[in-house]
Amino acid sequence: MASGNMKAIKRRIKSVGSTMQITKAMELVSSSKLRKAKEKAEAGRPYFEKLYEMMTEIAESKKDFSSPFIERREVKNRLFIVIAGDRGLAGGYNGNLLKMALSEGENGEDKPKIIAIGKKTIEFFEKRGFDIVGKYPLLAETAKTADCSDIATIAIEMFKKGEVDQVKIFYTTFVSPLVQNPVSMDILPIYRDEDGEEVPGVITYDPSPEAVFNRIVPKFTMSLIYCALSDAYASEQSARRNAMESATDNAEKMTEELSLKYNRARQEKITNEINEIVSGANALQ
Amino acid sequence: MTPFNLQIITPDKEFYNGETENLIVRTTVGDKGILARHEDYVAALPIGKLKVKIDGSFRIAAVSEGIVKVGKDKTVVLVQSCEWADEIDVNRAKAAKENAEARLKAAQKEDREYLIAEYKLKRAINRIEASELK
Repeated sequence: MASGNMKAIKRRIKSVGSTMQITKAMELVSSSKLRKAKEKAEAGRPYFEKLYEMMTEIAESKKDFSSPFIERREVKNRLFIVIAGDRGLAGGYNGNLLKMALSEGENGEDKPKIIAIGKKTIEFFEKRGFDIVGKYPLLAETAKTADCSDIATIAIEMFKKGEVDQVKIFYTTFVSPLVQNPVSMDILPIYRDEDGEEVPGVITYDPSPEAVFNRIVPKFTMSLIYCALSDAYASEQSARRNAMESATDNAEKMTEELSLKYNRARQEKITNEINEIVSGANALQ
Repeated sequence: MTPFNLQIITPDKEFYNGETENLIVRTTVGDKGILARHEDYVAALPIGKLKVKIDGSFRIAAVSEGIVKVGKDKTVVLVQSCEWADEIDVNRAKAAKENAEARLKAAQKEDREYLIAEYKLKRAINRIEASELK
């Protein structure tokens, strides 16, 4: 009986060992991807910040201009841009974000339209019968600004035509290698502080502040999506790295425990054998 | 000519950061030349070309939609994409143009697809033109 048990334990050790090899490899892959993703997220920041600065400048220097992008309407229809991963095995990365977007989506009278980025997002909202106006699988890793520009165009056109009254983005922000938080942000309409004093600017706008402002908004939206996407991708890699790290640790612990069990069983078997031999020899005397 | 600092930033990187003596951009209302000590100025840029004078000679770049902002001691060009004319991959641009034309034909005029394809076509044409100017 002991030898049968030993065989089973040995098999178990082998299987845990090969799982550990996989999780270890995935951990390493995610580490290197994380580094690249963080660089990408950093590189996108100056553009975003400069645009933001210009928008604020215009908004502060002129209080009474009109733009389709600052128009606040009663929110009847919403558009959600949801960024999650293409693959699982990343701890709570996909689950946390999708749950958050879903609860926001259900918190309202309408069923929001969805632009889904990532295979998991598409699956999730398709299964729940949402109207998906844009599907972008396998985008996050290789995202180019042109892709984000397409997404921004869809969102802006829908907003301008009045098909939706609010555009929100959901993604996971990278706080630290150990902490990634799902967040949501309003994209349109652009929030404008209408109180406060008008600060007369000395800047000449060509052709006019409004025209420049309306020019900036689509670029700003695109850049915001691009930054969110890079940020989310860094979070995904980080979440996966952490998940795989703890999986590897668990596998190590398990192998250790199983080895101990195996050695005990082996010892038991030897003791039994000696017992048998000794008692056999005693019987012969 | 007095040089001034020019920064060209695209969403994914800082494309250029250095001195220039003269910057010529095509704004939505016409060409504009910017020299050192220009007044504070902001203008929208359509898809087009810009010329940067570095060490006495002009370098041409193809840019797509953006903003130019002239400040006290610094000029910033924010564009969605920027490529030096001599670094443009003409074959890729031509392929993009054909692709966009095909998509444009397939799409309805009111469609978003149409809008996106039209934009792509404009960019491809601009890049081909710029590469011929170098």
